[in-house]
Amino acid sequence: MSHFNYTDSPYSIREDIREAHRFFWSRLGAPGCWWNGAQRLAIAAEVRLATNCTFCAERKSALSPYTLAGEHDHGSGLSPAAIDAVHRIVTDQDRITQSYVDRNVDQGLSKEAYVELAGVVVSLFSIDEFHRALGLALEPLPQPSSGKASLYRPSQAVSGTGFVPMLPPDGATGSEADLWPNGRTANVLRALSLVPDALRDWMKLSSAQYLSMQGMANFDRQEGRAINRMQMELIAGRVSSVNECFY
Amino acid sequence: MLRVSAQTTGTEIDILAVNGDLDAAGRGIEFGPELMGFAESVATRSEADLKLARNQLLIAAGESVLVDAAGVAANFQRMVRIADSMGIPIDNMETEVGIEVRQALALSRFASAQNTVSG
Repeated sequence: MSHFNYTDSPYSIREDIREAHRFFWSRLGAPGCWWNGAQRLAIAAEVRLATNCTFCAERKSALSPYTLAGEHDHGSGLSPAAIDAVHRIVTDQDRITQSYVDRNVDQGLSKEAYVELAGVVVSLFSIDEFHRALGLALEPLPQPSSGKASLYRPSQAVSGTGFVPMLPPDGATGSEADLWPNGRTANVLRALSLVPDALRDWMKLSSAQYLSMQGMANFDRQEGRAINRMQMELIAGRVSSVNECFY
Repeated sequence: MLRVSAQTTGTEIDILAVNGDLDAAGRGIEFGPELMGFAESVATRSEADLKLARNQLLIAAGESVLVDAAGVAANFQRMVRIADSMGIPIDNMETEVGIEVRQALALSRFASAQNTVSG
């Protein structure tokens, strides 16, 4: 099956966006570092349930997101900790804490697995959000491919920034030399670097949906874009503000 | 980044557009009110508001702008979730423009500010 043909779209979708979405779909059903293909697809399916989850809606309006008991609308074979992590990242991400991530480790969701799970969640969610923004149907999920998770962990990852270990600013070396090749990085780039492919996935998507790393240094109009940088940043700022994101 | 891009191009803008001020969104940014309304409706996930905002942007600015705006909005629906789920602090709290923008928009009211303040 060929994905992202956009034959139902009344609008012309840029080819680089189609390619970026297809690239992520090819990665989504394949084994990752800490989850196999079927598990990654289960995470993706859970993202789609989270957006309409009754318990998530109740918890979002609760004063504390950690005292309310209940059960998510779920349909996967993932562990309760993994299901809850997916739902929180989609619906209540600004109240995730270090304690929550640490407690998940005790429940079998390692920080490495949490980072890869988050990478799948956010990439799938943003592709779905692109469709929803344009009033288009969501793309059917791909089929899983066989194989085991690689259990790859970059040896240079260290704790000290945020809730999980990350590559240090000078840590884009060896197999990770492509992550910030000009030696300049930022915490948002380092955030998913415990699972380097998760960072590669978002960079590829971001290059099409927003700007490439090189393009971010250009504050005027970008070639191939219908909106200029100020227009982009107005959208970015408003979306971030509604989501109550301090970063 | 909105403030920096405005400074780079010598454009007078009102940063309060980020907080949803419609008049501010119209200052210096072409299709600002329509883009702001569209971004807001994507982030709040109200289907009724989104349908209205999508049509308003389409009529005002055309199909190419709508598609690019959807891409950027979708991208930042992702970025905020990366930042908050990983608990990353702001890289440098001391830049003049950063301090100005955080104060103007009262960003410390957000729960995720603790990832920077307490980190």
